[in-house]
Amino acid sequence: MSLKTQIADWMSGCLTKLEQKGEISPEQSESGKEGGATKRFFFRSCATLVDAAYTFFFSSSEKTSGSVHVRDCNDFKRMMIAVIYALIPCTIFGIYNIGYQANLLAGGPGGWHGAILNWINGVAPALGVFNSSNFFGCFVYGLVYYLPIYITTMIVGIGIEVVFAAINRHEVNEGFFVTGFIFPLICPPTIPLWQVALAIAFGTVVGKEIFGGTGRNIFNPALLSRAFLFFAYAGQISGDSVWTAVDGVSKATPLALASQGVDGLVCGNYTWWNAFLGLIPGSIGETSTLCCLIGGVYLMAVGVASWRIGVSMFVGGMGLAWLLQFCSPEFAEAHRAVTLGPCWHFVLGGFALGMFFMATDPVTAAQTTKGQYVYGFLIGALVIVVRVFNPAYPEGVMLVILFGNCLAPLIDHVFVEANIRRRMKRLQAK
Amino acid sequence: MKLTENDKKSLLEPIIKNNPVFVQILGICSALAVTTSMTTAFTMTLAVLFVTAFSNVGVSLIRKYIPNSIRMIVEMTIIATLVILVDQLIKAFSYDLSKQLSVYVGLIITNCIVMGRAEAFAIKNGPALSLLDGIGNGLGYGFVLMVVAFFRELFGFGTIFGFTVFKTVQNGGWYAPNGLMVTAPAAFFLIGFMIWIANSISDAKVK
Amino acid sequence: MNNDSILKTFGVAAALCVVCAVIVSVADVSLKGMQQRNKALDRQINILRAAGLVEPKAKVDAKQAAKLFENAKAVVVDLETGKIVEEKPAAEADGIKLDPKDVVEIKKEHDVAKIKYVPKKEIVYLFNDENGALQTVALPIKGTGLWSTMYGFIALNGDLKTVAHIVFYDHGETPGLGGEISNPNWTAKWEGKQALGDGGGPIIRVVKGIAGISSDGPNCEVDGISGATLTCNGVNATVSFWLGERGFGPFLTNLKNGTAYDVKASEN
Repeated sequence: MSLKTQIADWMSGCLTKLEQKGEISPEQSESGKEGGATKRFFFRSCATLVDAAYTFFFSSSEKTSGSVHVRDCNDFKRMMIAVIYALIPCTIFGIYNIGYQANLLAGGPGGWHGAILNWINGVAPALGVFNSSNFFGCFVYGLVYYLPIYITTMIVGIGIEVVFAAINRHEVNEGFFVTGFIFPLICPPTIPLWQVALAIAFGTVVGKEIFGGTGRNIFNPALLSRAFLFFAYAGQISGDSVWTAVDGVSKATPLALASQGVDGLVCGNYTWWNAFLGLIPGSIGETSTLCCLIGGVYLMAVGVASWRIGVSMFVGGMGLAWLLQFCSPEFAEAHRAVTLGPCWHFVLGGFALGMFFMATDPVTAAQTTKGQYVYGFLIGALVIVVRVFNPAYPEGVMLVILFGNCLAPLIDHVFVEANIRRRMKRLQAK
Repeated sequence: MKLTENDKKSLLEPIIKNNPVFVQILGICSALAVTTSMTTAFTMTLAVLFVTAFSNVGVSLIRKYIPNSIRMIVEMTIIATLVILVDQLIKAFSYDLSKQLSVYVGLIITNCIVMGRAEAFAIKNGPALSLLDGIGNGLGYGFVLMVVAFFRELFGFGTIFGFTVFKTVQNGGWYAPNGLMVTAPAAFFLIGFMIWIANSISDAKVK
Repeated sequence: MNNDSILKTFGVAAALCVVCAVIVSVADVSLKGMQQRNKALDRQINILRAAGLVEPKAKVDAKQAAKLFENAKAVVVDLETGKIVEEKPAAEADGIKLDPKDVVEIKKEHDVAKIKYVPKKEIVYLFNDENGALQTVALPIKGTGLWSTMYGFIALNGDLKTVAHIVFYDHGETPGLGGEISNPNWTAKWEGKQALGDGGGPIIRVVKGIAGISSDGPNCEVDGISGATLTCNGVNATVSFWLGERGFGPFLTNLKNGTAYDVKASEN
């Protein structure tokens, strides 16, 4: 027997034992003694965790049954892992960019982050954590900020998943790995960890658990967490000034400058190429359009993300941005962001990240083929509308996608009904 | 005076078990509007308590004389009279609060709890029992209002009844107030959570 | 008799109407005096708060308010000429009726506060000290913030240069962000700042972050509210509009030079 099967057998044995302990034994319920509810709950939670680990490393214990399903090797776990692969370029670049942006500015990091970094620099000066031209140094600098956010997200999120899975008696699945991977990418690097914990708790409970868990949520949990932060702690998160991992720096974000038109961006020393590559300040994973493009194209190629949504969102957003360039000069004076044009709009803020990874979320997006075109187009166009007309929410991608999530069932309903009507007609014609 | 079993039921049941807000889902609108501070929530509770109690008594007293064709209008008239009375009293004796509550005192007229109790209970029962039912429902409504207001005021402003509990960052303290709590959706979430808890408990009992 | 007969229906309806009408009328008549006193007091306290004579959260009764109003005057100012056209003791300010339609449209390029119309006349409150010298002048202001029109008062000290107080009593800005403009801790930061430059134009402004020293003067910057840049921009526009040429600028110049009173008014 190979080691692998031994481990697998041992784990499934543990699982069965824990599950037994988690249920009321027949003698207990007969004699009316139903004590030890907490204990049983604890065993059920443990069983859930073991089950999660088992499915993660081996294979799912439950398989689709019945005859109406198309079965292939592309199961839920594979889909989720594909998303995580696709996010890796964004994450690595994002971590590097935290350090790079911070090292570009004068003034050292503050607080406990600063203490850790100074210690690292003292122990291994060769690493060059404070050197903006050293890729690896910047990466380590970024890790000091990124890792605590990621770990907090995972601990809080998985904790909540396990509790709910134990109560509802279903298994923990990989859905949370994706949420937990995306959420740090849409956080600013300087976010306090208690806010991360609060936000992900809110997003997981309100966005997912109350609807019945992964696959039944109407809103993207990661985005809902971000929206919670936006409304709850708007002073720190509204994008009023840049988030760089350096204390006491306050300057306008690229998007805030963009509301002054192209001139504003040029004054801020931002170039299109830097914005495309991602060498601009912003939320951890959103800055690099190139990395989003790599990951996004991969996702669409393997069929996890819908290319229809991606393409129609691109067309909707860029088309509107292009059209707006031809508005009257007075209008352009009042809303300077219209002068940016599609090229800039594409590379600024969270448009690319939202387009590739969040609007295309297979659970919350529209499901019908035609519906997906409408859904994507609507989101793309609305993002530009919010950016141009509402200076208070320069980063409207998050709210617009949540709004799109709201509308997705309605869009689907319209197309499904239309299809039914069409086929009924055909039936009557016969 | 001694309360019978039936009296107690009328008085106590609407507070938790058959709560007008989180079991019957009535009166949500004002629960969103006046719960950013506990003081306004408390005033609103008293106002609604007064109106439900006395509109129930009023309707119950004349229930045998009300022609069926104008039943609802009669109930409405009694409720409206009481609401105007409350509104005038608050304006005269507590002007600051009346400014904060603005139109919501007047809108008690449209609060489904009041009309609902008149129509469902007072029209069939005696004045004493109706009074108890009115008070019970007023208290049930007030209970939800106070709980929602407690969380919204504490986490949104760091205060309870206007007294500082958590000193906020804006005022030189440590507490970063949660802006979401100040907005109306927070009341939706909180009432939603209350409904959730209430349903889980009643589900567990059924099992 | 049958409850549903027409006669009975009318009878019950009529009786109910009479009873309810009596209750409502009695309540209205007997409480009216109190309500009006409350309303008048509320207005007075707002003005006193604007002038910085009353702490923002302090309770003031009618007697105290009347005492503080003893040395105050309400004057109607013609904005264009900057002259006073009517004067009354401040306690009787409610008696002044201005025609709300008597407005001038502002040209778009001058309309920094985005209010489209300015009234031709405004009521301004002048507070004198015991010796009759001007102590505070409270000017009503309004302008568009991020979401809403913000209504307030800015009060200048007797030197007509420095800010005594600023208050926004009505606005719909985001609570916790722009809404902080009505937080007394923030408005207190305006006190003593220099509002008007030596040339007479408005120089005070809210900056992003912490106030520094501007080229216009050493003491004319106010700390910004974090996360509320757009509301603060609105506040800047509002203040500079109303202290400027098209707002109370001419009046303030006249007041300083002692030429605020119209010849006709002073004859009276």
